Amino acid sequence: MSKFRKALERLVDASAKERIAVSAAALALSILVGAAVVFVSGIVATCASPAFSVLGVGVCYDPINVFTELFLGALGHPEQGGWSPTNYRVAIALQQTTLLVFTGLAVAVSFRAGLFNIGVQGQLVFGALAAAVATIWAGAIAPSGVLGTVFLVPLGLLAGAVAGGLYGALPGALKAYGGANEVITTIMLNFIASNVAYVLVSSFLMPESSQLVQTAVIPAAAKIPNVPVIGFEARDAFSLVALVGALAFITGVAYLLAKTSFGYDIRTSGLQEQAAAYSGVDAKRTTVLSMALSGALAGVGGAVWVLMVKGRFLTGLPSLGFDGITVSILAGNNPIGVGAAAFLFGVLKSGTIAVDFSTDVPVELVDVLRGLIILFVAMPEFFRLIGKRYLGLGGEQRA
Amino acid sequence: MVDSDERRRRFLKLSGALGVAGLTGLAGCSSGGGSGDDAAANIGMVYATGGLGDGSFNDQAQAGIQQAAEDFDIAYEESQPETNSEFQPTQRQYAQSGNYDLVSCIGYAQADALSTNAAAFPDQDWVIVDSVVDEPNVASYGFREHEGSFLVGYMAGMLTTRDFSAGAGSTSADTKTVGFVGGTETPLIQKFQAGFEAGVNHHDDSIEVVTSYVGSFNDPAAGQEQARSMYDSGADIVYHASGATGVGVFRAAQDMGKFAIGVDKDQSITQASFADVILASMVKRVDTAVYTAVESVVNDNFAGGEQTTFGLSDDGVEAVYGDQLGSQIPEDVKSTVADAREQIIAGDITVPSKPQ
Repeated sequence: MSKFRKALERLVDASAKERIAVSAAALALSILVGAAVVFVSGIVATCASPAFSVLGVGVCYDPINVFTELFLGALGHPEQGGWSPTNYRVAIALQQTTLLVFTGLAVAVSFRAGLFNIGVQGQLVFGALAAAVATIWAGAIAPSGVLGTVFLVPLGLLAGAVAGGLYGALPGALKAYGGANEVITTIMLNFIASNVAYVLVSSFLMPESSQLVQTAVIPAAAKIPNVPVIGFEARDAFSLVALVGALAFITGVAYLLAKTSFGYDIRTSGLQEQAAAYSGVDAKRTTVLSMALSGALAGVGGAVWVLMVKGRFLTGLPSLGFDGITVSILAGNNPIGVGAAAFLFGVLKSGTIAVDFSTDVPVELVDVLRGLIILFVAMPEFFRLIGKRYLGLGGEQRA
Repeated sequence: MVDSDERRRRFLKLSGALGVAGLTGLAGCSSGGGSGDDAAANIGMVYATGGLGDGSFNDQAQAGIQQAAEDFDIAYEESQPETNSEFQPTQRQYAQSGNYDLVSCIGYAQADALSTNAAAFPDQDWVIVDSVVDEPNVASYGFREHEGSFLVGYMAGMLTTRDFSAGAGSTSADTKTVGFVGGTETPLIQKFQAGFEAGVNHHDDSIEVVTSYVGSFNDPAAGQEQARSMYDSGADIVYHASGATGVGVFRAAQDMGKFAIGVDKDQSITQASFADVILASMVKRVDTAVYTAVESVVNDNFAGGEQTTFGLSDDGVEAVYGDQLGSQIPEDVKSTVADAREQIIAGDITVPSKPQ
């Protein structure tokens, strides 16, 4: 126990430089373990033409090739000639990064307040639906062209924030005034959100001839516009404007947590609830408000998914909300770290598509590799969290 | 055709002079049939959600590309998107690489993504099964699912009104109820429901048809639950059009000692462990659609912009009896169903494509 405790203490007291070194080492280790997994799977698997053979045994998958695709293929192979930073694989990676920044921030805010919001996915669903409905509805009265965009995009984002915020405030209020455990309520509210959205869309919002459970297309002016000249194409479903917006949200949340009195309330209630109450923090109000803020961030993420990626709401959203939990833990619940963790996720997402396309490795195996990387990188942070929270180690919460 | 052959021959002669190395270098650049490999054509397959191994829709599509690979000298690459939002980037992978002579998009859910991609990549040939995408580089294939569903519905109607037992299931003449489980409640799946209901009522319009839509093609647990409550309320036979969800329907039939009807492929073979409850399957020749499209590319007569619909008359849809139970279904039922098939083809019976 004392050995374990010492190791935890060492982790908790690690400096920023040391933490970066630990993460890099974890990444390298995860690649080594992953390569071994790929190699062994390659021996077990049967294939027409082995990638190479060792001691007369054919190996189907080439680990080096797999990891090259996973990281460099994810960005469209910058090591090869003729690479442009605006190719579509970069677009996919950045598109995922943008979306995960919002859900990652949502989870981070709740975590810092000592609340575990597992309902980010549900809040995202309602945010997305609200953004689609609002822009379609307002599209009829909005001017077209740039003026319409200036009106419709903020409206869609606002609708998403309000819907997600209200849906996040609900479990917050249940906890503050009814004592309901927010872990349970938010999990259940996820199911409610996706099923309510399904029923709403299929009964009221579906265009007559649609083969999918989806709303109509949002007005063209409601799409988050591309930056002219910089070469991401419209078909890439990615906009630098949205990425810049996401970065602004990171800065905003970091500022809010570090410098404002509401941020102080959130942080102190997360660290030590009784002490926070003693120093004059209204615990109930803080619980509801921080859950609402968390939900609003998730809702904006859903709105961006509609306004930038799909151009409409359709059921079966990607699991951005759940990935946001991992992103936030990976980032140690630090808003700035969320940006980096979301980018790692974005690269891995784009890399998975690249590996699936360019190698014979089954996509399930790529998911294993992805999981290994995340697990290895997140583990030190995870132990730091445990160390700080349950053993009362370390000094003040590091930002 | 002749033109291009002649040109190619001349091209070969010309480059022959440049030496073998030069030839391979140049041939590598020439577009058309040549992919990176030596194959006659390189085909990309993008399957519907639910994925391979559903023993149904996707597997039927794969049977088509496998048959084509056997008959023609082609190479193919497969992708299995997990959610509807992955179709767009997945299709795009193929188009962007420029190495594929044809990309097959299996399932109506890909139509939206394909509309975008087909316009963005005008030089790429595409085929979509189960939907129509109105672009000059897309061939659309559809089916008259309601016609095949009518036949299995007609059979179910006859069997539920009598006492019949075979394999692990039985029907009772006391209850006149059958069921339908659909994936999502959308116009395409409603065609299955409409045809089935029309077939059941063609025999006896006092038979009750209970219907339910699960909302997913990949949720066997929900399929089992829905079917179970149908059997509980007296249904003898449940027909499903729900991809991998249907496995749950079969399981419920086995649990309750009732019957089920499969879809898309002969499911008494693809889901052999349920062969003792699968009376018949409404086979939809997705494989034919895929095969036909590949064939047209190999023969250089790909018909972009055209729509093709397969029905009963060209065996695009058909009712096949279960591998294990088929021989026990009474002959009079089978011959009546066969008559109805002729009548539909002749136009004497009109099958609605929308639920009444």
